[in-house]
Amino acid sequence: MSTPATQGSPAQPTPRRGAATTEGGTRHTPALRHRGLTFRGPLRLAGLLGGLALACGVALTATSGWLIVQASSRPPVLSLLVAIVAVRTFGIARPLFRYWERLRSHDAALAELAAARVDTYRRLIPLTPARLGRRARSDVLSAAVKDLDDEVEAQVRVVVPLVASLFAGLVAIAYAASVHLPAAAAITALVLLLAGIVWLLARLEDSSQREGLEARAQAHRVAALVTTNAHELQAIGAGGDTDVWLDQAHERVRRAASRQGLIRALAAALMLVCIAGATAGIALLVEPSVGTTLSRPVAALLLLIPLALGEITAPLPEAMGALARSRAAAARLQGLVTQEPAVAQASAPDRSFAQLGTNARGERAQLGENAGGGTRQLAESALREGSPDPSFAHLGTNAPGGVPRLELRGVSAGWVPGRTDIGPIDLVIEPGDHVALVGPNGAGKSTLLAVLARHLDPSGGAYLIDGEPADARPLEVTRAAYAIVDDEPHLFTSTVRENLRLARPEASDAEIEQALDAAGLRAWRTHLRAGLETMLGEGNTGVSGGERARIAIARALLSQRPVLLLDEPVAHLDHPTAEAVLADLFAASAGRTVVMVSHREEGTQYCGRIVPIGGRLEEAGPSADGGGR
Amino acid sequence: MKPFDPRLVREHPKARPAVLLLGGLGVLSGIATVVQVFAVARLVTRLVDGGGIAGPLSWALGAFAARAALSALTEWYAARAGAAVSTSLRAALLASWLRRGADERPERTTALTLATQGTSAVEPYVAKYLPTLVQAAVLPPLVVACMFAVDWVSGLIAVLTLPLLPFFAALIGATTRDETAKRWETLSRLSGHFLDVVRGLPTLVGYGRAEKQLSTIGTVSEKHRVATMRTLRLAFMSSAALELLATLSVAIVAVAVGLRLAHGHMELLPGLTAILLAPEAYWPIRRVGAEFHNAADGAEALTTVLDELAATPPDHVDLAQLTPKSAPEGVSRDKSTSPEPGSVSVADVSYAYPGASGPALEGFSADFTSGLTAVTGPSGAGKTTLLDLIAGLRVPSTGTVSRPSGRVHLVTQTPFIAAASVADNLRLGDGRDATDDQLWAALDRVGLRELVASRPERLGMPLGDGGFGLSAGQRARLALARAILADPDVLLLDEPTAHLDPASAGLAHDIIRELAADRTVIAVTHRSELVDAADAVVTVPARKAVTA
Repeated sequence: MSTPATQGSPAQPTPRRGAATTEGGTRHTPALRHRGLTFRGPLRLAGLLGGLALACGVALTATSGWLIVQASSRPPVLSLLVAIVAVRTFGIARPLFRYWERLRSHDAALAELAAARVDTYRRLIPLTPARLGRRARSDVLSAAVKDLDDEVEAQVRVVVPLVASLFAGLVAIAYAASVHLPAAAAITALVLLLAGIVWLLARLEDSSQREGLEARAQAHRVAALVTTNAHELQAIGAGGDTDVWLDQAHERVRRAASRQGLIRALAAALMLVCIAGATAGIALLVEPSVGTTLSRPVAALLLLIPLALGEITAPLPEAMGALARSRAAAARLQGLVTQEPAVAQASAPDRSFAQLGTNARGERAQLGENAGGGTRQLAESALREGSPDPSFAHLGTNAPGGVPRLELRGVSAGWVPGRTDIGPIDLVIEPGDHVALVGPNGAGKSTLLAVLARHLDPSGGAYLIDGEPADARPLEVTRAAYAIVDDEPHLFTSTVRENLRLARPEASDAEIEQALDAAGLRAWRTHLRAGLETMLGEGNTGVSGGERARIAIARALLSQRPVLLLDEPVAHLDHPTAEAVLADLFAASAGRTVVMVSHREEGTQYCGRIVPIGGRLEEAGPSADGGGR
Repeated sequence: MKPFDPRLVREHPKARPAVLLLGGLGVLSGIATVVQVFAVARLVTRLVDGGGIAGPLSWALGAFAARAALSALTEWYAARAGAAVSTSLRAALLASWLRRGADERPERTTALTLATQGTSAVEPYVAKYLPTLVQAAVLPPLVVACMFAVDWVSGLIAVLTLPLLPFFAALIGATTRDETAKRWETLSRLSGHFLDVVRGLPTLVGYGRAEKQLSTIGTVSEKHRVATMRTLRLAFMSSAALELLATLSVAIVAVAVGLRLAHGHMELLPGLTAILLAPEAYWPIRRVGAEFHNAADGAEALTTVLDELAATPPDHVDLAQLTPKSAPEGVSRDKSTSPEPGSVSVADVSYAYPGASGPALEGFSADFTSGLTAVTGPSGAGKTTLLDLIAGLRVPSTGTVSRPSGRVHLVTQTPFIAAASVADNLRLGDGRDATDDQLWAALDRVGLRELVASRPERLGMPLGDGGFGLSAGQRARLALARAILADPDVLLLDEPTAHLDPASAGLAHDIIRELAADRTVIAVTHRSELVDAADAVVTVPARKAVTA
């Protein structure tokens, strides 16, 4: 039995048109720099502080050695005072510098993260939803958030230790050069060797980590498959049959871990061997000059330097792991955000960004005081965002009067540029029509819906709205006529009220309650602990799948948008619940145009027209989904 | 959170060699470290006082080599052990869930997290944290003993100051705990905000609200930075305090040695050895604190996984028949009350979902004999629950279910179809030993032979997740083909044709009738055609108390 194919995985974003999938992203958007590892102001200071801390550590070991050897020759105690003070200073300075460095580097990384988040979000908007993969978009998005964290985290975990170690190494070389050149040469050789090992490790980590990540992702997929389908597996008596898949995935994980462990183990051992070699080298080089050109205590000091350097470079292999992780994360993120938007005339007017940028900066000063402020305010402000947007106000309220006529003339479309998933299709949807698009999974129903929603531009043919070519109208105006309900409705961590009002910010409580009732949530609403003030989100505990679908429908109804586009809205619901949800939905949407995509029979009885899409399995195979690699 | 949960070793035999070997390697590298310190001290002494350095140098090199080998071994073995323990925990967890009834499994999202990230978090816990823990347990006592042997004054200082480290760590932890806990909620809310608005991006874009979020994200990230830095400052300050404490302790040893050296009360060699030994006693303790912080997720996940594995409910469902190897025997099966062989009887059965306000099924009785029985009733009456109870996937709250001792096969509303080949999917369950010919025969019977035969991969034809690429009717027929291969004594079908168009439904109904010829088939259905074709009809009444 083979392992479940990767095509079932959370969809991969479609690659950019004609560009390399990873690093070359900056070519498209020169203004947006590849973050990766940067080495700028605050971080430079942090690296320097870290270097001082490490240098203090080396100096501490070395001067202690000097002091003891000097003391053993029983000089007047006073003559030791300078060294004693030095040892104390180094001992106290090391933790202080380290503390300072950690504050600075973490602060810099968090500030970088804040900027990177706004930047990434802005770049994701025009790619949403068509370029976020076809299914499990929220997984793709969660992964992007995690990748962004990993990428920025590398600033602290990689740059600072590297810079600090290098600085400490240079200080050690400089000191040694001032007392004994051959020893300095030995230390230089050691620093170069260690740097070489670290560099080599960084190279190897890239591939070994990719292997490990892929293996773990596959194991997670199998585990998630078994966990979510435990009941279905038991039902057919297949309780133990999935073991094979899990074993295969786990074998891969173990092999990858072993390989990665071996590489790091060899690096750690090699570094120790280099330190041993340097110690021996210095002992042999220094021995002839002890007592003549070189004082005994200084000889002791020189001999202890490699050991001290060994201590400070020990964390570097770990840092190289973080570097590889961050590079992989950055490459994935770049692959995602540098895609071409799937629609022309992206909905990102530059003007508003300039404003927003200054806002964010202007507010920074006051933030210090109310940072700990109530979580409730945060949650509300997260969605409310002041007054309703004037440009949407008129669209929203005017809409029911002007239900548009939608027409597709010989339209073909594909998710990946250059490939046609559907078409050519002719379809006219008169105002107020209730249309069901049916057909097997993968036949292109959702693709068609994406074209109607102006999430995806057709690759051929014409899409006319009220007789006017769709791409001649402003994207925001077109989209503002459509309310979309898909199979993964998101509930924000906020109140019930804010979760609904995002669909129409000027809606009153009475209108919100009306929308909830129309979506079949009357009983649910009246049982809420704090009414519309009740908090949702946080994994949406206490909200069933059916209720989630209904909340999304209530949103769509509240929006008063004249066209409802339903993309498998009940895909995850059981049959009776699905029937009930759809009955309520269609009852509440008289007068509006409804286009529903479904691969099941439910709800089709409410549709005046049933349009079969595709159906030839040869074309609708799993690989035609755009999800596979 | 405990630093080490002994249940890992006690109850999970696969973890035993890992922990033992890591412990052994820890002891050996501790010894190598001590030997290295002695050799280096002697090397320095010989270097400054004259005398051949060859002897101590070769000792030092030997010790270095041993340390290098041991640390490489530890690193490599720890990585392997981490993967081995975490994967075996995951396998054990999934196996345990598959043996339990629906109510004894944890809630879906909890289970998902535990089966994926949760068990993965155990990997760094074993690979990184455990070796450090071993070092912290081995090295300080070993080093202190050597210090006593070399110079008892230094040893005494170490014994007196070492306990201060954990003591102060605990003290700092206790004083900052409330503060940290107070901030935790704000912090997690702040850090969760970005994930929330990113995951909700399609919704926000749909309603034209996405760009409004940009300034909010900037604001919240800024708040997050400020709040995080407050928490971090505290953490960094306490770790700086501990480092200072360790440095001062080493300095006390050094001063004591230095003064005695300067006054001629001590030789260089023991003095230097004591001073070089001292830091080796302190750093493992500080490091274990730092690593524990990093491995906290893993430690917590480990505790949860072990709790979960230990939680075998006293009245757990016997799903022995569902695991391929064991002989069929069950608690909810009672042959003596079976009126005739092959028949299923349900007597006064009630069932309430955990946490539900009312029962899903109450005081229900029915007998199902050989042939096709259609089960009807209004939505939410508990028909699906009834099938789960008959299949033994749930235990009734009251009443008894008796069924024959053979195989039971339940085709759920959304049958499991993996992203694998047609053959793999058909061989899931009791049909796992079916030959290719049998697979073809089953496909032929459900009318899928042509479709599969037309593909170049034939039985290897790949299917997507959840049967992606197949129509609803094809998926339903595939599930029926699997039921045919399983050849069960009792076949349970939950809305087998609800999603199908009339033509597909007609074909499926014919197959169901054929299957009912020589076994008990119980089908929950809304379809009048299937009800008409049934030998008997059982109606599940609507629930009395209707809940929202």
